[in-house]
Amino acid sequence: MTAGSTQVSPDTRRVWLAARGPLAMLLVIVAAAIVLTLMRGHSEGGALDPRSAAPNGSRALAQVLGDYGVDVRPMHTLATASRAAHGATVLVTHPNTLDPADVKRLSTIAESLVLIAPNQRLARAVDSDIDVTGQAAETTHAPECALADAAGDATTGGVGYRTPNGELCYPTEAGASLVRYDDGTPVTLLGTATPLTNEALDEAGNAALTMRLLGERERLVWYVPSPTDPTLRDGSASLLSLLPSGWRYGIATLAIAAVLLALWRARRLGPVVTEPLPVVVHAAETTEGRAQLYRRVGAADHAAEALRDAARHRIAASAGLTADAGPVAVVAVASRGGRSPDEVHWLLYGPAPSDDAALVRLATELDRLENEVRQA
Amino acid sequence: MALTGRTPLLAAIGAVVVGLVASPAGIGVVVAVLLLGVVIDVVLAGSPRALRFSRAGATSVRLGEQADVVLHIENPGRRVRGVLRDAWQPSAGAVADRHRIDVGAGQRASVTTVLRPTRRGDRQAVRVTVRSVGPLGLAARQCSHEVPWAVRALPPFESRKHLPSRLARLQQLDGRQAVLIRGQGTEFDSLREYVVGDDVRSIDWRASARAADVMVRTWRPERDRRILIVLDTSRTSAGRVGDVPRLDAAMDAALLLATIASHAGDRVDLVAYDRRVKAAVSGMSSGDLLPPLVNAMAPVEPSLVELDARGMVAEVLRRVRQRSLVVLLTGLDAAPIEHGLLPVLSSLTSRHELLVAGIADPRVADMAAGRGDAQTVYEAAAAERTTAERRHATTLLARHGVSVVDATPDRLPPALADRYLALKSEGRL
Repeated sequence: MTAGSTQVSPDTRRVWLAARGPLAMLLVIVAAAIVLTLMRGHSEGGALDPRSAAPNGSRALAQVLGDYGVDVRPMHTLATASRAAHGATVLVTHPNTLDPADVKRLSTIAESLVLIAPNQRLARAVDSDIDVTGQAAETTHAPECALADAAGDATTGGVGYRTPNGELCYPTEAGASLVRYDDGTPVTLLGTATPLTNEALDEAGNAALTMRLLGERERLVWYVPSPTDPTLRDGSASLLSLLPSGWRYGIATLAIAAVLLALWRARRLGPVVTEPLPVVVHAAETTEGRAQLYRRVGAADHAAEALRDAARHRIAASAGLTADAGPVAVVAVASRGGRSPDEVHWLLYGPAPSDDAALVRLATELDRLENEVRQA
Repeated sequence: MALTGRTPLLAAIGAVVVGLVASPAGIGVVVAVLLLGVVIDVVLAGSPRALRFSRAGATSVRLGEQADVVLHIENPGRRVRGVLRDAWQPSAGAVADRHRIDVGAGQRASVTTVLRPTRRGDRQAVRVTVRSVGPLGLAARQCSHEVPWAVRALPPFESRKHLPSRLARLQQLDGRQAVLIRGQGTEFDSLREYVVGDDVRSIDWRASARAADVMVRTWRPERDRRILIVLDTSRTSAGRVGDVPRLDAAMDAALLLATIASHAGDRVDLVAYDRRVKAAVSGMSSGDLLPPLVNAMAPVEPSLVELDARGMVAEVLRRVRQRSLVVLLTGLDAAPIEHGLLPVLSSLTSRHELLVAGIADPRVADMAAGRGDAQTVYEAAAAERTTAERRHATTLLARHGVSVVDATPDRLPPALADRYLALKSEGRL
């Protein structure tokens, strides 16, 4: 039996044979992903991102502005945006994610501030009298104000505003869609982002309007608030950033240790052994099942008959009678305990109990009767 | 390949060092050191693939006792140091299947795995896996080997504690203790002097005339009768009574009966049957009956099929031609008896003496005694119903001239032995 061929673990060749199919598939998937990404070209960011070529991105506008000599600077954190805001136009694409106080501070630093569709809370940070009056459909509206007359009709709508302080343009059924409020720094509220998008830039006077709004200064800080910006969160700084930088490397090494720990524990010493399990059926299962059925349908009559039959059998057997002895003989035997024959007859042959309580009483009485007969 | 606990430990220590040095290059150094160590270990570890194995030791064990199986290891290559797992089926009950091994180059070693089977039948060894750790203790090479071996867990024969008392009773039957039994199926044994209390009908007048004293004949039961024990392995035998299947209780009773019968000089055959013959023992002499019997019984498992009563009767008739005692060990459930066995019974009872042993469930008796609330009383009623059905089946069988023993697993073996002795004393074999 000491043949050298007892080993059954897969050797290198068998591992390679088994793994090459999946490996080839993985390779094809990765290659396809690379090719597809290259074909689609460079595109990143979400809505209103100056680098995004998607329909809701704004790369077209950013490029046009750049062609006209505006220095467009995409920013993603409040800190960098604030630092670059000095002497520039600041565009906040999603102001509602910011704190009103931050917007107020931006308005004091910047030369000009443009907010896209701010809600009432944000808008009041720059103009305490402003009201959001509603939501209008986004279609082409006429400017009807000096500020935007040169631009002409544009795709506006969205959030509508009303204020006694500023200049109201593009009136819609739900208020003005463009508001300029000048309190040292001109602040522009635009009710919708549509004119800025790649998709709608070439419609009506959208390009002219947005160039006018964003191209006033040499520099444009294009601030797209990012959810990962730590200053926007309440905790302000993550646990990792509080650590000294050396311990960050330590933690990286610790992560490697954790992976090694997992590998150590995951490798089993041989395969799991299976057991051909025997059938487990309890012999009393059918009896228990019958008891459940009796109970569920409340078969007090059937149960009582079974109990009476057993009691009759035992009483008859105690006197040496056979199972098919008649009621008269059984009652006679059972009456030896001292009970009247009528009562015994009622117990052994009487009507079925009407409910569970009566059945329980009958069972107890039958027990008592059997005891009396046994002792007699 | 496999890692040891030292590798993550070293990496964790490396993490502290990297944290103190505070350099990203530290991570690279730690990884490189670990990788180097692992490669060295894997390359230098003795090959577990080259090991050769063989086994020796117990091949059978009575259920509940322990068996030692020895695994011999021969190492033709470099020193192999590490862990060996001798994997068995869980029901083989290996007490400790992991062994530390250290086998030098060209040397031999052996490890002993102690088994304590939890279930009757053939328990198989599955695989031997060796993890050979490298000199640094960071990584190991691992390989599994197939080294087949099986240990047969035999029926425990727990009822052998009843054996002495029943053998004593058997001796009384044999007339060796001066008790006289006379009837059909007994044969003339010897003559001896009359003592007060002897049956006057057994006085041999002719012998008395020749002798000076009154002589009586003594009789003993006939020997060399045949007994066929039939184990029902159909679905009713799978039902568990306590924690063992009915079949195991039936085997226990069969072993006690067979032992007593072989002591009485009768010849015992066994057949296990559901829809086909699962095991059979026949033509064994009384002296060495027990080993082949337990060996034949050990691997038999209950199967979830209905008993083919017609086939079983045909099988019995084919196996025994002269008049025999046929003992059928079954569940005695009402339906299989009434619809399966009864219709085909007459061809069996006309030629043989049939004894049916039913294995009752003590749980039913417990349920029948339940009182107090509606739930327990309903259970009691259902249990009484079951008992009545068994009684009915017993009555039907008795009407066909079949004797029935219906008892719980702990009482069945002595009860069956007693019934056998009673039949023997009555000379009905």
